[in-house]
Amino acid sequence: MSEGEQLRALMIRYQGGSLEAFQEIYAQLAAAVRRYLSHLAGGSEIADDLLQETFLQMHRSRAAYNPAYAVRPWVFGLARNVFLMNRRAARRWAEVHESREELPEFPVFPEADGLGSRDEIRRGIACLSTDQAEALLLHHEWGFSFDEIAGMLGISAAAARARASRGMADLRAALNSFQRARA
Amino acid sequence: MIDRSPKTPEALIRVIAQDLRPVKPSPRPLRLALQTAPFALLVSSLVLLAVGIRGDSGILGPLLTWGASAAQFALAIALVWIAAHESTPAGRLPKGTVYAAAVAVMLVVVGITVSTFSISPVGSTLRVAGALRVPPWIMDLACGVGSTIEGGILVLLFSWMFRNSLATRPIVAGALYGAGAGVAVNAGWRIACPFSTLRHTLGAHGTAIVATVLLGALIGRFLRARRFHSADR
Repeated sequence: MSEGEQLRALMIRYQGGSLEAFQEIYAQLAAAVRRYLSHLAGGSEIADDLLQETFLQMHRSRAAYNPAYAVRPWVFGLARNVFLMNRRAARRWAEVHESREELPEFPVFPEADGLGSRDEIRRGIACLSTDQAEALLLHHEWGFSFDEIAGMLGISAAAARARASRGMADLRAALNSFQRARA
Repeated sequence: MIDRSPKTPEALIRVIAQDLRPVKPSPRPLRLALQTAPFALLVSSLVLLAVGIRGDSGILGPLLTWGASAAQFALAIALVWIAAHESTPAGRLPKGTVYAAAVAVMLVVVGITVSTFSISPVGSTLRVAGALRVPPWIMDLACGVGSTIEGGILVLLFSWMFRNSLATRPIVAGALYGAGAGVAVNAGWRIACPFSTLRHTLGAHGTAIVATVLLGALIGRFLRARRFHSADR
């Protein structure tokens, strides 16, 4: 059974009233969702609150889940929703992306690992537009397909692909400029 | 091997353990939209049962009387389907598609209204018992208020059906439900209302659609506030 099918089966058990199934879903998704929230919120201090809120909202609206949907994009979409509804997080996000001084806890995905140091990659991602950075990380770091990203962000799959692709090109350009400056 | 998977926080477990009653999974957006159709049809037909079919239906012909209303009703259900997608965290449609569809439906409604007027331009002064004339503004008020009330009933039904939805943009989702309700109700009213002047149809009936869109948006906003304020407590 694939990870997606396993999560779907767990979600159905959870909708049937199983606490163990909820705990298993949390164990499988919490770390990745927290990293995503940390990226969105521009820091880890409120990511934990948002993570709790995400799973609380998931519990309240567990009936809204339809087994035809994959669980991971559904939960990530919900996390994004929680983040956007949280004014404190949104303010913080605006501040971080405005100043570009304080580097949030961006993940460093495997494709970028050889392109520069971890610090440079973080700085490079911070230079991207928020749309590009989000699409890039959702695809390369969390492994979502462009169709799944499209469903989460409310854009077309082609737009999701274009954002990730432009993000990667801009990241490479930023890393090259860091390397030239260092040399 | 050490298990490094994160443990569920105790406080979260406590909240969740308090309410673990089994729930029925929500249907997919298309099925959900189709489930709303019978009730929407019933509500939009109420005016036909009360007032009957417009007198000039023979001039308009079955295509512009029944066909246009059937098409309008189908488009209303399509708006509900789009709203149901908008309410699903992983199933949203592209923003451009959502707005284009909403604008296209409104243009179709205006097109049907203008076509009806061009074939049968009936003015809005009703003659009651031969000599008594009911002024146009009373007809405007009756149609505007009547279709707003019917539309409001449908918006409330949609809001109840989608009360647990997880829309990222609940105001947009609510407005789409409202537009669906307004257009569905208008499909019934346009067959019953005997007046087709643009002032009356776009003014009174159009205002009713705008009112249901606003009502839907307000309910979406209220549901969002309730969801997140109750989470803060």
